[in-house]
Amino acid sequence: MIEVKNVKKKYGRKQVLKGVSFTAEKGEITCLIGINGVGKTTIMKAIMALTPIDSGEILIDGEKIRKESFEKITFIPDAITMLPQMKIVDAFTFMADFYKSWNPERAKELLQFFKLDASERISDLSKGNTAKVNLLLGLALDVDYLLMDEPFSGIDIFTREQIADVFTSHLIEDRGVVITTHEINDIEHLIDRAVLIDNGEVLKEFSVEEVRENEGKSVVDVMREVYQG
Amino acid sequence: MKSYLKLVNFEVNRFFKMYLILIGITILSQIIGSFAVSKRYMNEANRMIYENLMPKSQFIEQFGGLSFSKIVFSGWFMLPIVLCSATLMIYVFFIWYRDWFGKNTFIYRLLMLPVERINIYFAKLTAIMFFVLGFIALQILLIPIEMHILKSIVPADFRTDLPFHEIFNLSLMVWLYPNTIIEFILIYGIGLIFVSVVFTAILLERSYRLKGVFLASVYGILSFIVFFAPASLDIFFARGYFYPIEIFVMELVTGVIVLVSAIWIANHLLKYKIKV
Amino acid sequence: MNVKFNNRDPVYVQVIRLFKEQIARGYFEPGQEIPSRRELANQLKINPNTAQRAYKEMEEQGLVFTEGNMPSRITKDEAVLKRVREELIVEAVENFIGSIKTINVPLSEVLELVKEKYDTESGEEEGSE
Repeated sequence: MIEVKNVKKKYGRKQVLKGVSFTAEKGEITCLIGINGVGKTTIMKAIMALTPIDSGEILIDGEKIRKESFEKITFIPDAITMLPQMKIVDAFTFMADFYKSWNPERAKELLQFFKLDASERISDLSKGNTAKVNLLLGLALDVDYLLMDEPFSGIDIFTREQIADVFTSHLIEDRGVVITTHEINDIEHLIDRAVLIDNGEVLKEFSVEEVRENEGKSVVDVMREVYQG
Repeated sequence: MKSYLKLVNFEVNRFFKMYLILIGITILSQIIGSFAVSKRYMNEANRMIYENLMPKSQFIEQFGGLSFSKIVFSGWFMLPIVLCSATLMIYVFFIWYRDWFGKNTFIYRLLMLPVERINIYFAKLTAIMFFVLGFIALQILLIPIEMHILKSIVPADFRTDLPFHEIFNLSLMVWLYPNTIIEFILIYGIGLIFVSVVFTAILLERSYRLKGVFLASVYGILSFIVFFAPASLDIFFARGYFYPIEIFVMELVTGVIVLVSAIWIANHLLKYKIKV
Repeated sequence: MNVKFNNRDPVYVQVIRLFKEQIARGYFEPGQEIPSRRELANQLKINPNTAQRAYKEMEEQGLVFTEGNMPSRITKDEAVLKRVREELIVEAVENFIGSIKTINVPLSEVLELVKEKYDTESGEEEGSE
C-alpha cells in the first residue's frame, strides 16, 4: 500500500500541496484526477523522493523510501528518461545493469506487444513510440507499484488504445498502479479508484464501481458535483 | 561499490567521444608544434648562416640554442592544454546540468536507481578526476616524443638540452606535473576538494534554485576560508610562527574537513532536498 | 466482443447482463468454457477486478461454475438457463410497455403493429442471410 499522509508543500509562496492524503492499494488502479494546475505530478515526485515535502509522510508498504524501494516502486514520468543517443537495446542494458527487478523476458514481450525495433535510437523514435518505450522501461521492472504521469496524453488514438490494453493485460498483473490524468473519459472503465485533486487538495476519494452502484453516477458526474459546487 | 563502478563507467562513456576529440587535438597540435618550432628555428639559423654569412657560434650566442622550453611556451603546446582545462572546467558544471536540461531529463532515471544517491556524486567526481589524470598521462607520453622530434630536426650544436625531469621544473609545468608524491597529492588533492565543493554548490542550487544560488555562494566562500585558514594564518598573522610541516598538517586537516563536509552536505541534499 | 458500456451503471452489472444476453441468444452454450478474468478484462477493456467481481456474482447466481482448478464454464442447469431467458424477455417487455404507455396507445393496436413489424423484420433478416 502507498500511503500519502497529510503532505504539504510550498513552491515559493504558492502552496501546491495543502495536506494531501490518500492511499493506493496493490492490485488496484488508482487514478489521480485534476482538471487544472500542478499537484498531481508533484505528488508522484514526492512519493519517489524527487522533490522534498514540507510536512507529512509518505509510506510504501509501511516504510519510508530508501534505495531498496526503487526495486519495489517505479515512476514513469510523462517524458522518456533515457539518453537520446541510446538505442532501445542500450537502454535495456542500462536497466539490467542497475535493477535486480529488471525482467528481460517481459521487456522482450513488451517490444513485441508494442511492435518496436530494439536497434532504434531513442532520438529517432516517433512521439508515440517514445511514449511506448518510456512505458516499457517501467513495465518491464518487476515492481509492486507503478506510478504513471499522464500516460494517455499527447499521443495518437491508436497508441492510446494500445496503452489502455496494457492496463487490462497480465503486464499489470496484480500490481498497484497510480496514474494521473486530466481526461477521464477514455479510462473510466479501467480504474478502481479515483482521487479528485484540485489546487493541491484532495476533494474526494472513491471507488468508481461503488459510486456507480450506490449512487448511479459516473466519474464525470462526481467530478461535476465536486468541482462545480 | 559495484553500482558505483557501473556509474563511473557510465559517466566516462558519456563524455568519451568529446574526450577523444580533445586528446586528438592535443596530440595533433603539439606534434605539429614541435615540428614547426624546430623547423622555424633551423630556417632562421640557415638563413643567418648561409645567407647573412653569420658564423654559427655568433648565431648561437645571439639567438640562443633551441631548448624544449621554446616548444613548451609556444601556442602549439599551450593552447590545447588551455582548451582541455577549460573544457573540463566547464564540464564540471555540465556533468550535472546536462542531466536536468538535456533532452530527456535523465536525472529522473539517475535518482530512481536502486543505489545510494551519493554514488552518483562520487561517480561524477571520479569521472572528472579520471579525465584530468588522463590528460596528464597523455602529456607525459607526448613530451619524450616531442623532444625526439626536436632532436631529429635540430643538430646538437644548436640545442640546449634539458633533461626530462627538468622540463617539469619549468615554472608553469610544476603545477601540472608535480615532482614528488607529496606534491602530487597536494596539487590533485586540492583539485579534488575544489571539484567536490563546486559539485556540492551545484547541488545546493539544484535543491533550492534561486535561493540556492545564494546558499551556494556562501557555502563556497566558507569552504574557501576554512581551507586556506592555516596558510593565511601563516601569511597574514603569524609569519614564521609555524614550521612548514605544521602548516602542511593543518592544511591537511582543513582539507579533509572541507572535503568531508562537501560530501556530507551533498549526501543530505541528494537524499532529502533534491528537486527534478 | 465489442461492447460499449455506459458510465453510470456498475460495470460488473453490465458484464453480467452481457453474459445473460449471450446465454439467451445461445452464443454461450451450456457447459461452454468462458474466458479467464484476465482475458475477459482484456477483451472488454475493463478493469480486471471488475471482471473478477462479475464472475463472482455470476457464480453466486449459478450462471457459471468452476470445478477445482479448471476454467469456469457456463451452467448446465436448465432451470437457471430458462430463468435467464425469461428474465430478459420480461425485462424487454417491461421496457417496451414503459415507452408505449407514455404515448398512450391502446394495447390491441400495439399488438397488431408489433406482430406486423416483427414478421417483416424477421423476413428481412432471413432474406439477408
